[in-house]
Amino acid sequence: MGLIESGRMPKPLTHLLNYSRKYSLWMFQWGLACCAIEMGAALASPRYDMMRLGVIPFPASPRQADLVVVSGTVTDKMAPAIRRLYEQMPDPKYVISMGSCANCGGPYWDSYSVTKGIDQVIPVDIYVPGCPPRPEALMEAIVMLQERIQNEGIGNDQLAKRWRGEPITVA
Amino acid sequence: MPDETPPDAPVAETEPAEAPPALSVKQEAVLARLAEHLGDAVIECVPLFTDVVARVQPDAWPRVADVAKEHLDCDYLSFISGIDWAPAPKEGDEGSSDTSSPVQPTEMTFGVAGSAGRFQVFAHVQSTQRHWGVTFKVDLDEADPHIASWVPVYPGADWHERECREMFGFVFDGHPSLRPLYLPADFEGHPLRKDFPLLARVVKPWPGLVDVEAMPSEPEAAASESEAST
Amino acid sequence: MSTTDTGTTEGPADAPTTPGFQVDPRALTPLADARVDVELDTGDMILNMGPQHPATHGTLRLVVRLDGERVVSADPVIGYMHRGYEKLAEFRTYPQVTTLINRIDWLSSFANEVPFLEAAEKLMEVEAPPRAKYIRTILTELSRIATFLLFLGEMGLQVGALTPAFYGFRDREHILNLIEAVTGGRFHPNFNRIGGVKDDLPWGWLAECRSAMKIVFDGCDVFEDLVLGNEIFAARCKGVGIIPAELGAAYGVSGSNLRASGVDWDLRRDGEPYLAYPDLDFKVWTHPDGDSFARYWVRLQETRESARMVLQCLDAIPAGAVMAKVPLIIKVPAGEIWVETENPLGQMGYYVVSKGATGPFRVKIRSASFSNVSILPWLLRGVYVPDIITILAGLYFILGDIDR
Repeated sequence: MGLIESGRMPKPLTHLLNYSRKYSLWMFQWGLACCAIEMGAALASPRYDMMRLGVIPFPASPRQADLVVVSGTVTDKMAPAIRRLYEQMPDPKYVISMGSCANCGGPYWDSYSVTKGIDQVIPVDIYVPGCPPRPEALMEAIVMLQERIQNEGIGNDQLAKRWRGEPITVA
Repeated sequence: MPDETPPDAPVAETEPAEAPPALSVKQEAVLARLAEHLGDAVIECVPLFTDVVARVQPDAWPRVADVAKEHLDCDYLSFISGIDWAPAPKEGDEGSSDTSSPVQPTEMTFGVAGSAGRFQVFAHVQSTQRHWGVTFKVDLDEADPHIASWVPVYPGADWHERECREMFGFVFDGHPSLRPLYLPADFEGHPLRKDFPLLARVVKPWPGLVDVEAMPSEPEAAASESEAST
Repeated sequence: MSTTDTGTTEGPADAPTTPGFQVDPRALTPLADARVDVELDTGDMILNMGPQHPATHGTLRLVVRLDGERVVSADPVIGYMHRGYEKLAEFRTYPQVTTLINRIDWLSSFANEVPFLEAAEKLMEVEAPPRAKYIRTILTELSRIATFLLFLGEMGLQVGALTPAFYGFRDREHILNLIEAVTGGRFHPNFNRIGGVKDDLPWGWLAECRSAMKIVFDGCDVFEDLVLGNEIFAARCKGVGIIPAELGAAYGVSGSNLRASGVDWDLRRDGEPYLAYPDLDFKVWTHPDGDSFARYWVRLQETRESARMVLQCLDAIPAGAVMAKVPLIIKVPAGEIWVETENPLGQMGYYVVSKGATGPFRVKIRSASFSNVSILPWLLRGVYVPDIITILAGLYFILGDIDR
């Protein structure tokens, strides 16, 4: 929509748009390692059911996803695939980096084959620390992301930037 | 628990010479069969806890696989890997109180059954029927490490030898296709050699037990501590 | 299939002939008489089941050459989770290595540490006290149950049944609760120390564990009815991916996969005695068929068997200390040792070379899934594409275990 991209959305509409966006995130999980099991427990287990927050997993392809949760160790061999799948996602898109391996390399900080954090490859919105983070921690990350989505475009130009696919700088 | 002293261990001054540990029935049977079928090809044969370690001549390596499969009934291949006996790079400090990095000895010593040089390939096979296992070791030439491949006898050796090739640089003659297994195609170097540095540790050494952050209410102590630790 | 060959190039006498241009003689032959074994000129298709795929359990890439729906050749490309464990272990002290290695097989983390600690303790000539051995045994069997419950759930998912996956995750939560109550972590507990375990069991845990085992037994009965009794599951899995016993052994396939091919070998009973297994009375389950159905069946029985073993341990656990006297700084004397144990995925072993320092000189990690997956190029020849998924699910590997 031309209105959103040029930043001329009126506030009540922005509010409504963000409200509906944050509760309908379609999450593409990039489950690589141990954190993928915790992410699976958060999604598929009836105990920490994440679908009640509006986050539905398993889109058919990254081209239909809003949110990607990179969970697990990223190796140098895998990093190009992550970059490619990130670029396949349409704007606006969000990235959650789950676990210390995806944040900064984690316990393998000195390995010869591990990428020390996926923020070297793709821009990250929320970092979830832990090894592995509990499913509740991932849910808190989703809630924080939802707060962030709610505040986009209200008092700042982040909504327009997200729609255009430009990087968001955090002051 | 019987303990055998490796060849490089220092001789104990106060203890009397220990009697050689009692061999189990399985170990004796394995040693007997090795002696019978391999004979001279075995340079040194040492019982190790509950297994047997046998170091063999390099040109007998393919025959070892046949003997293991047929005469020792070892139908199960556990692994084939390599070892680099060069001293480890210096990590920690010998005299410091920081114990969070290991300090390895700086001279080159060899393990059980000895070695002729820096590189060795070792393989472990087991028997699913008789429940015994043998570790075979063979020396490789340092300048040009070549050894025969075990793929004709144990098809599972395929992946183990590919891994060994990219981790150490050993070449297995007779292997169908020695292409890289783990590392990306453009990776340079052989990681498991001792002279391959971990760059993250070279760029910024592991800080160890030293607590570089002072408590919030002590700014001056923080300044002096950061001076002392750098 | 019968083939009829008309032989001559003129065609039957009453075939229509059109003057003026050449007619391909095959077009004149009625179809019923046509040669049916004519090789159609087709090309092979290369299908890349990429590193990100819901059916491969993690970052396994299978480059498969297909002829129609049949696999001509399959080439697994691994290394997308290679973190360099063997090199990292050379730069860490023994307790630091213990922390690292329980992320190799990340579903049954407790079991990864056991062989390494056995190796270090044997080299140091330290023996963990009996209570610590029992606690370790209970936690190992609990992690085996947790892993197998996930397998029982998600193998159904891979062949198309959604319900078992939820049951698997739900029942697994009970086990993770137990492990968390003892160790503080759902997985990657870091509870082992060289010489014993870190802490004693909390008060009331034994009763909780007994009730959780009842839930496991009920869950296993549900899986047996729901999944094993399902005709679709049986049709998908029976006869698919048969591993002959000798070939499996030559490839190094181990654990439930080899036992499903009829080899009666379990290191808890046949290997060197470790932990509290010599005191326990358990059955080793085998199945003669060697297909994916057999692997599911064997793992289901082994889950029940593990639950029985946990109950035996709970009844027999001795009182006493949980940690032997070890020095504060662990220095393992020079030597080498090979220790192998029966882990949920198969046989895992560590060859530890020590030179008397606070850290190992070389650790060779023999992981079960590496050898289990190395049979894939042989196993996947000639199967249909959906059977690839069934075979991968039945072999049950963890990428961290393959790539280390």
